[in-house]
Amino acid sequence: MATVLYLNELSKKYGSLQAVDRLTLQVKAGSIYGLLGPNGSGKTTTLGMVLDVIRPSGGSFQWFGDSISSETKRRVGALLETPNFYPYLTARANLEVAADTKQADHRHINKMLDMVGLGTRSHTTFKGFSLGMKQRLALAAAMLNDPEVLVLDEPTNGLDPQGIAEVRDLITRIAAQGKTILLASHLLDEVEKVCTHVAVLQAGKLKANGPVGDILSTQDQLLISADELAPVLQLLERLPYIVKFAQEKNYVSLTLSEGYTSTDLNRDMFAQGIVLSQLLVRRKSLEAQFLEITQK
Amino acid sequence: MNLIRTELRKILQYLTFWVIMAIYVLLQVLLIYFSSNMMVGGQSLGKSLYDFPNLWMRFTYVAYFFNLLLGILVIVLITDEYSYRTLRQQVIDGRSRTEAVLAKFYVSLGLAALATVFLLVMGLFFGLIYSSDTSMGAILGKIDHLSYFFVQAVGYMCLAMFFAFLIRKSGLAIIAFLAWSKIVEPIIHYQIDDHIDRFMPMKVFGSLTPTPGQEIIDGLTSPMMALSPAWAVLPALFYIAVLVLASVLLVRLRDL
Repeated sequence: MATVLYLNELSKKYGSLQAVDRLTLQVKAGSIYGLLGPNGSGKTTTLGMVLDVIRPSGGSFQWFGDSISSETKRRVGALLETPNFYPYLTARANLEVAADTKQADHRHINKMLDMVGLGTRSHTTFKGFSLGMKQRLALAAAMLNDPEVLVLDEPTNGLDPQGIAEVRDLITRIAAQGKTILLASHLLDEVEKVCTHVAVLQAGKLKANGPVGDILSTQDQLLISADELAPVLQLLERLPYIVKFAQEKNYVSLTLSEGYTSTDLNRDMFAQGIVLSQLLVRRKSLEAQFLEITQK
Repeated sequence: MNLIRTELRKILQYLTFWVIMAIYVLLQVLLIYFSSNMMVGGQSLGKSLYDFPNLWMRFTYVAYFFNLLLGILVIVLITDEYSYRTLRQQVIDGRSRTEAVLAKFYVSLGLAALATVFLLVMGLFFGLIYSSDTSMGAILGKIDHLSYFFVQAVGYMCLAMFFAFLIRKSGLAIIAFLAWSKIVEPIIHYQIDDHIDRFMPMKVFGSLTPTPGQEIIDGLTSPMMALSPAWAVLPALFYIAVLVLASVLLVRLRDL
């Protein structure tokens, strides 16, 4: 698949602070790429650099195999940090300004306003909008010229649950059109729900990247106990699908390799004449996983 | 053209723009109307103030003071783009940084053209009513001073533009603009030789609209070392180019 965005050792230094440290990434066409990291980890700085508003102190990046230009910018729709509009202009007038800059067809404005559910509010000035509406207007602006790539920086930040649901629903619908999406977020849950790929950033450094399934493992943790633990431990040694196990007090915690479930384990135990007194499936919390990744 | 159309979309619906323009027009009309009652040397200036062709010199000299207002308007328009972060968004959306500065330079040209046309209309209005000589020759006599005023207005607004892009905060940029044009540079003028200071930017811009009657004063005392309006055009254009270039460099080299 074609590479949409390629970052090569991209760095940004603010005085003595290394905001982004030699970041190398590839975003493939059609993926929903999550940039995950706590606040201050360099997500916005990274997006700012590839969007041409922050000057890198080192390294390079390419859009669609070319260096950045007005042409490549017009193939990308982006919102960085906050929705940026003229407060005294109406929603429609703001989109007209955006359409001018993007050289987009002004006939798309109504369609986009309808898409984000602001069709009936097109004559309200931007300053009269709620945060959720502002965020949706920014999405409408980003989508104006039907870009191939959408860059979104914390799109649900500061929204109430309903606003979050609306914006996420919108992103999923846009992704279903086959667009590539680059999404920065500090919410693991959001990245896990929405993204296909993820890069984990901490203090400007790349900690891990790859398909979401590999990085944020959805492997469940099992807790089992039996009257006699010794035969259980012996059997676990021999079962091929046990990734790891450890005895803790009067139970054993273990992880299964992908494709196996607690049913398999229970069946094999029973076949060997071991009756478990307890079998508990515990999902590993995303926060715990995140800490595991960032502390590596 | 695209740049200008977008700027118009933003400006025409901006209340602050209309308020500043209204103040500009109102104050200038009032000052020009009432200046005929001003006393100079125990004598009322009277209606001779509106005599063609010297009217053009007098009117452009009055308008010279109001360039500060145009400069403040330009600062407001530019620093708004920083506080709304719309400059940033436009660069993200596909505009180059140079285009972003040029857009504001075109706005300055447009405002200067408007101010010049306004002065032309006002000159014709007062002149045709009060001037003792309304022959074509008299009307067109010193009308070239309008073009010097145009260059001066552009120069003031380019200086304002430079401070706006440099400082990015409206209040501080306005203070810097006023301080430089009215305090800092005049102080420098006192410190250095007239032969040199006549080439300094504010002095050059000022020379484009000389004080009416300066030639009489010069005849009585030692003449002021100032460039004639026609000679001041060249260095003025030079400063305009430098200020626009400096603004472009500022925006290109810094994070938005």
